[in-house]
Amino acid sequence: MKKFDVIIIGSGVVGSSIAYHLSEYKEHEILLIDKDFPLSGTSGSTQAWVWVHTKVPSWYGELSLYSAELYPILEKKIGDVEYNRTGGIAPFFNEAEREKAYRLAEKQAEVGIDIKVLTKDEVLEMEPYLSSKIAGATFSKLDGTVNPFRLVELYVKAARKNGVKTSYYNRVLDIVKSGNGYQVKTERGTFLTTKLILAGGPWSKDLGELLGVHIPIKQVRGQIIITEPLQPFLKYTIGGIRQTVNGEVLIGYSKEEVGYDRRTTLDVIQQTAKMAIDFIPALAEANIVRTFAGIRVMPLDELPILGQIPGLPGAFIAAMHSGITLSPIVGTLMAELLTEGETSLDITRYSLSRF
Amino acid sequence: MDKSTIVCRCEEINIDEIETAIKYGAETFDDIKRLTRCGMGPCQSKNCIGPVNEIIANNTGKQLKDLPLTRMRIPVKPIKMKVLVTDIENSSIASVLAESVDEDGDNR
Repeated sequence: MKKFDVIIIGSGVVGSSIAYHLSEYKEHEILLIDKDFPLSGTSGSTQAWVWVHTKVPSWYGELSLYSAELYPILEKKIGDVEYNRTGGIAPFFNEAEREKAYRLAEKQAEVGIDIKVLTKDEVLEMEPYLSSKIAGATFSKLDGTVNPFRLVELYVKAARKNGVKTSYYNRVLDIVKSGNGYQVKTERGTFLTTKLILAGGPWSKDLGELLGVHIPIKQVRGQIIITEPLQPFLKYTIGGIRQTVNGEVLIGYSKEEVGYDRRTTLDVIQQTAKMAIDFIPALAEANIVRTFAGIRVMPLDELPILGQIPGLPGAFIAAMHSGITLSPIVGTLMAELLTEGETSLDITRYSLSRF
Repeated sequence: MDKSTIVCRCEEINIDEIETAIKYGAETFDDIKRLTRCGMGPCQSKNCIGPVNEIIANNTGKQLKDLPLTRMRIPVKPIKMKVLVTDIENSSIASVLAESVDEDGDNR
């Protein structure tokens, strides 16, 4: 039976980042397994914002901030992932929300997240295509976007270069505690490992069940519209809307609990089109080329679940919403935890034991 | 055919790029699409699905009939955004800011 030091289940943005960061130590024999193929799940069906400024509570905002700060370095190491720190605008349409925006700015300032609360005129000067019906917006220079396809592909490439083995189209059928480690039974054979990381995103719940552990997450479907490539006209990432490097505009912020069903539905797509035009009236004339949907993982308290699985030595979990934003810091911290037994940032708040 | 022959005309993806994705481990059209952008353009793979599946079959030894098709989505061909909103009064899509500050007040 082939033996590894670490098996990571899930080769999405989180699992692939952990594999890459762990492989940098060159101390472990690592196997990265996925039931499908990288980008076939959540990480390949996202707008891929690297979004910081509205993330609350502020200590969660802080984690997102540190992760965003790692992107420029990551890009030097693994290659061009089209990280673009555009700055982020979260518009509001009702003057009553201004007070809340100030409160958010005040809270986030405590952890170093600089937010400006903008008047309507200020927003329209910065982003002229936004609707004149907006009342104002919060703005931060820290937000941006990345190309999720390039990101996951390059994490995997860099990990392989450092010796990580990958096994795709290989579903994990069972996990059995065995001596000091775990036996991972898959469609393509059984592997032994000392340490095990569950990074299955929305499928983490099923993986937890194999270990007899309840992972308190929901599956949430998000539907997104893609336009034809347009002239670059959006300078910033707008909460709910971004323009990609090649000109397409991605729009969507829907959330539905429909299990693993990732179909697109006309009703939500119509609502999303309405949102697009409410935010940016000129989009009424843009052609829609495609729609897509992804299943996001949402922990019950919406905060990342990260670290050791209580009661199961050698077993770890990394399950979170906003995996694109968080993957650089989560990969870094999990690699520290597995290699050195401790992390440079305190992650006890994110432990599974809080539930 | 030359390796530089364009297979996806919308995104200008050639045979060599598709074979590189297969070497990376891609097994289906959609795997290749996400790695190369093949099929992501205005025709939404109506032109390239056939030739790409042939290249997959040739490179992997799989039967063409066993290869899955791509996932088709709304719309079948490009339509203007405004066409979708003719009977919609208000959007029910949440706002990023409202979600951040509304849910549990300032203690989140």
